Amino acid sequence: MTTETRDDLFIAASASSPEVDFRFGAHALSLRGESYPENAAAFYGDLVAHTRAYLGGLEPGRTVVVDVALTYFNSSSTKMLFAWFGALNEAAENGVRVVLNWRHDADDDTIQEFGAELHEEFAALEFNDVPLAD
Amino acid sequence: MNYAEYRDFSAAVARRHIVFYYFGYFSQNIISAMAEAVRLHLERAELVASTRRKLFSCFVEMAQNITHYSASTLTAAELRENQLRQGSVCIGVEGERYYLLCANPVAAENAEALRAKLEPLRSMTLDEIKQAYRQMLRTEAPEGSKGAGLGLLTVAREASGPLEFEFVPDERPGLVMFYVKATI
Repeated sequence: MTTETRDDLFIAASASSPEVDFRFGAHALSLRGESYPENAAAFYGDLVAHTRAYLGGLEPGRTVVVDVALTYFNSSSTKMLFAWFGALNEAAENGVRVVLNWRHDADDDTIQEFGAELHEEFAALEFNDVPLAD
Repeated sequence: MNYAEYRDFSAAVARRHIVFYYFGYFSQNIISAMAEAVRLHLERAELVASTRRKLFSCFVEMAQNITHYSASTLTAAELRENQLRQGSVCIGVEGERYYLLCANPVAAENAEALRAKLEPLRSMTLDEIKQAYRQMLRTEAPEGSKGAGLGLLTVAREASGPLEFEFVPDERPGLVMFYVKATI
């Protein structure tokens, strides 16, 4: 067992929260679905804490692939996602390679614009805009 | 209300092109169920995707505002989970455009602070609203906020014109009814 290994985190999607599939062992983190939980600060606060703990144990040069396919997120989720990407960006500034696949409907301007904003703000992330045709 | 009155009531709703109306308690589960009903309608109405998304987004922000902030509450003020608060939300069509209306009571002493948040939004361009949104994204959530301070900015961003709002005296002492209308 290396210091990099930690338990994976899986949370099934609910009507108003996304599926969380953080395979820390495989260095693959995925969020998919819709996000408007009642208490986004609590839901994402937990994810940020798990992610930070995982990133803290990584060796520089390691590649982490982050796959985000959210079809809708409300305002408080937006705020918390921003914090989560901030944590990933910090690790990327410290030598971890973080690849972010930002998946969204090709015609969803709001989500595409938020992606562009992430790309600009968190320059250490390797950002791939992945528009999906209907 | 007897059968004839109910028929009149239903006819009035249809005449006004009300596609959704709910008055009662708002919880997260109730919002999810309503969201499903609203989405079904929007899909059936074959609206362009961007209008559908804006309506849905506005609906969720308005409904969650009621869950978080309505002064008519069954749960403790400081609670962040399993909240139940009373209000109403309405979606209708006027001419070519959809609109959303919501209402809930607020403490009279909070009305001025709300007005101070909403009034400046009315004179902002879409670019200015987006700029304010970007700025708020990077600042700590304001005190007393259960979201991110982004809810009303989101509603303003989705709307095609200035938000309309009103505070109306309520028969319950210390409360005023707070109305917001967003035309998409």
